[in-house]
Amino acid sequence: MGGSSNTTTSGGGGGGKDRDKGKGASVSFAEGEKVLAYHGPLLYEAKVQKTENREDEWRYFVHYLGWNKNWDEWVASDRLLKLTEENVRKQLELKNQSGDKTVRTGGRSAQHNPKASNADAKVDKEDTKGLVKGKKRKNQLGVEEKERRSSESLLMSQFPVTLKKQLVDDWEFVTQLGKLVKLPRSPTVDEILTKYLEHRVKKDNKISDSCAEVTKGLRCYFDKALPAMLLYKKEQKQYKEEIKGDISPSAVYGAEHLLRLFVKLPELLSSVNMEEDALNKLQQKLLDILKFLQKNQVHFFLSAYDGDSKGADGAKGK
Amino acid sequence: MEAAADEEQEGLSAQSPAQAPPSSASSLPKEQSQVELELRLLQALEFYPPSKLKGIHRHFILYGLMEYLRKSLDRQFSADEVLQLLDRFFNLEMLKPDDDEKENFGQTEEFALPDSFFKKEE
Repeated sequence: MGGSSNTTTSGGGGGGKDRDKGKGASVSFAEGEKVLAYHGPLLYEAKVQKTENREDEWRYFVHYLGWNKNWDEWVASDRLLKLTEENVRKQLELKNQSGDKTVRTGGRSAQHNPKASNADAKVDKEDTKGLVKGKKRKNQLGVEEKERRSSESLLMSQFPVTLKKQLVDDWEFVTQLGKLVKLPRSPTVDEILTKYLEHRVKKDNKISDSCAEVTKGLRCYFDKALPAMLLYKKEQKQYKEEIKGDISPSAVYGAEHLLRLFVKLPELLSSVNMEEDALNKLQQKLLDILKFLQKNQVHFFLSAYDGDSKGADGAKGK
Repeated sequence: MEAAADEEQEGLSAQSPAQAPPSSASSLPKEQSQVELELRLLQALEFYPPSKLKGIHRHFILYGLMEYLRKSLDRQFSADEVLQLLDRFFNLEMLKPDDDEKENFGQTEEFALPDSFFKKEE
């Protein structure tokens, strides 16, 4: 592998989420070339399958080596690095960093993120199952902590894969590409939850009081949690512009932001301190809602975000 | 037979003189005594303190109460029934959702996707 081709960005930090978009622009990659590709905060070995020049920007279709083809995707050159010794070192560095974090923050990330390296991720599923009862360090955990953990693993371990991908794309659109979801969305969170109840009624032939209560609870959480913890920084300005007076976020935002709430649910529900039985049942219900979102993924979610978070009035151009 | 039925009615009215039983009670004549019902409710409150009905967790507290009663008495309870039951012990006006509870979610933080979401699965 020609070490001479190292035209990449050795200058300055530039790992993970902070990396500068433009600086890799001059580097090009060939079809069939093995590269390192960012996916989230980490670098993975990948192979360029196809290249294409779109609007003066080269795009690369990459396959992540050792991973299912479902993950193949088009990326811009700023997501790719040449496969050089230096960059492999960088890959390791990032991996170790994320490993460190796991150890440092202890509790949560250690739980559903027991392995920091992608090589070990295959073991992930089994491992999570084993942890449901918190067999590790059991004696150090309080009752509440244990409940929080088990609540997390059930909802998180069964989180539908295509919805996980949806969330990663969402992260990329907003934080990497500077795009925003145009508001108001259709369907809104309110409409989606109503549709879900209708769907349940059709299936069960009756109105389930507990389902109704769960959707009410989700709506209430959503309205309160949206400004507090469901927005990326770049979206906060848009929020202030769109949500004025007594408009509820659930009447403006849609599936994209509702899905983010599910990531936060284990944390939020931990303060309800539910008994284990009820909590398990509740999680089954929540998973059922996730499956409903997944089934309607094409209708409920935007496939591309086109609002611009940089332009002064970007979010408003409806 | 008749005497037994009378007794039961008397017992019922003695326990909650001024209050009509929850709407569904009449459709379920075999319901355990009201004492049992109230006892279970009080037990459930240990998990689900009524004060939390004021905050953001209101609906999940109600959900928990519904589940608890369903499990211990083996029939469905609606949220309204649970609230009617609570009304026997508490001033429901005081337990209404309170929008002023601002400290609900503490301070604002940016959304962050857990690392595990960036991992690929086979």
